[in-house]
Amino acid sequence: MMAKRSRVRRRRWSDAALYLAFAFITLFFVFPVFWVFSMSLKSVPELFATPPIWFSTDPQWENYAFVLRNTPITGYLLNSAIIVFFTVLLTLAVAVCAAYGFSRFRFHFKKPSLMAILVFQMISPVVIAIPLYRFFVGLGLLNNYASLITVYVAAFLPFTVWFLKGYFDTIPYELDEAAIVDGCTRMQLLWRVLLPVSLPGIVSAGILVGVLSWSQFVIPFILLDDRDLYPVSVGLVNLRDSADAVTLHYLSAASIIAIAPVIAVFVLMQRYIVSALTAGAVKG
Amino acid sequence: MEKVAEEKAASRWRPGDTPVPWLLPLALVLVLVFVYPILEILRLSFTDASLVRPEYAYTLESYITLLRSPDFLSTLRITFIFVFASVVFQVLLGFIIALVVDQGVRRGLRGTIVTRTAVLSAWAIPGVIIGIIWSILYEESAAGILNHLANLVGFGSIPFLSEPNTALASVTVANIWRGTAFSMILIYAGLQTLPEDVLEAAKIDGANAWQRLTRVMIPLLAPVLFITLIIVTIETFNTFDMVMALTGGGPGRGTEVIALSIYYQIFQQLNLGRGAAAAVMLLAVNMIITFVYLRYIERRQGIE
Repeated sequence: MMAKRSRVRRRRWSDAALYLAFAFITLFFVFPVFWVFSMSLKSVPELFATPPIWFSTDPQWENYAFVLRNTPITGYLLNSAIIVFFTVLLTLAVAVCAAYGFSRFRFHFKKPSLMAILVFQMISPVVIAIPLYRFFVGLGLLNNYASLITVYVAAFLPFTVWFLKGYFDTIPYELDEAAIVDGCTRMQLLWRVLLPVSLPGIVSAGILVGVLSWSQFVIPFILLDDRDLYPVSVGLVNLRDSADAVTLHYLSAASIIAIAPVIAVFVLMQRYIVSALTAGAVKG
Repeated sequence: MEKVAEEKAASRWRPGDTPVPWLLPLALVLVLVFVYPILEILRLSFTDASLVRPEYAYTLESYITLLRSPDFLSTLRITFIFVFASVVFQVLLGFIIALVVDQGVRRGLRGTIVTRTAVLSAWAIPGVIIGIIWSILYEESAAGILNHLANLVGFGSIPFLSEPNTALASVTVANIWRGTAFSMILIYAGLQTLPEDVLEAAKIDGANAWQRLTRVMIPLLAPVLFITLIIVTIETFNTFDMVMALTGGGPGRGTEVIALSIYYQIFQQLNLGRGAAAAVMLLAVNMIITFVYLRYIERRQGIE
């Protein structure tokens, strides 16, 4: 009786400790974003009030309207959307084929090739962006989305190929054999048999590539110098540095606008992202 | 017999049955965007090229100048401090949060998923925006929030971004905030693979929570922790965007990590040769750590 009661009590204490930890962790990670959100709704006097005001008494939603109207941010968002869309599409197309090749064929140098691909994953984008800058200047490919997106695709291919190869490996080969007996070509087999079964994996990889390419900064920062082409990551830095007129509440509103899409995708699709991150790293 | 073998050989060489067409697009993109630039940066690092002048000569001067330059040595020192502190705290915090979230899930506590989402969202925010967000938090006037809180607790005003050593600490804290989620999720995934019965057995044998953690869980998790450590280390060495947006490498050059230094040497000082040499050093660091990683996973399981 006593032992049981003390165990229950201990359990209750440790639950309380966990809740306390949850509160601390959530506060630490949410607070910076909350603060910027709060700043984005302040009026100018509130912005400079001392001590700082936690939350505006009269939230200025117009700040958002102002930013959308008077800064190029909608253009940046659109640019990001275009870059992300094509990056995800092309990365998946190339990676699905390559992952199929690695998963369903036996050939020499397969292991070294897979290892080499992993090496590329680890290389700093700054290192490759510099020679690419000179190369693109020489060929007149600077400020060109086609060349820019090619670099994005390359940057995300190593992870995506590894992840999808791992996913295809879990699909039994009997499925392929049945399709081959039915007279499918390899393309039909991939398209009609493997892809439908691997859809969750492909969606996970696609979301992750989408989130990462939305964040990508170094590549467009170095390979674009036409402001009209900037994605939102480069655009926001430009916005902050170029105009004194963009004061803190506008900069905060712009930051919130820029992160809203990723956070939304992230929260809604968390399940897929968590599975992609964990499968990609722990297995290999 | 012979005929069967022949048929097999023939079928093996059918045009639709080699992996080459499947791998060709990948190989093309990777050669163009990785292999060619790497060879090019190696070549440039042995020249005195400038970004604007077309002619150049081959020389070792770039490396010699760099390694003698107090500024570059200071960059290396800053980078190592930044990486070391970031990695230690990201992995440690990531581990603690993973344990807490894992326990929360096992006990069915409410709020577990909210906590996990909060941590992971930080990772989804673009690095430059994290830099901007933290620059707002680190505002040094009396209207700055962290400054206000520091005053409340009695620390007085802190020169978050205006004094080099403090600025390095501030940048590191922001980077820990950013990167902890990644360690957390890897370690969390590792926790899911721990054999339930082993933990249960330890519990029945009377091991307390601390003993179960240090003598059972950590040894079992060692491979995952090692992989996390490697990936986080490489990622941190490559940090560019967050520091660029938060301090731009300043004050002075107090937070100029190596990736920023490469960028400034080339695009501000237009010294392509020296920037390339610095890039090759970063590349070498990337390669060495990756090599350790590859040897490790190869030994552990290999790839089929």
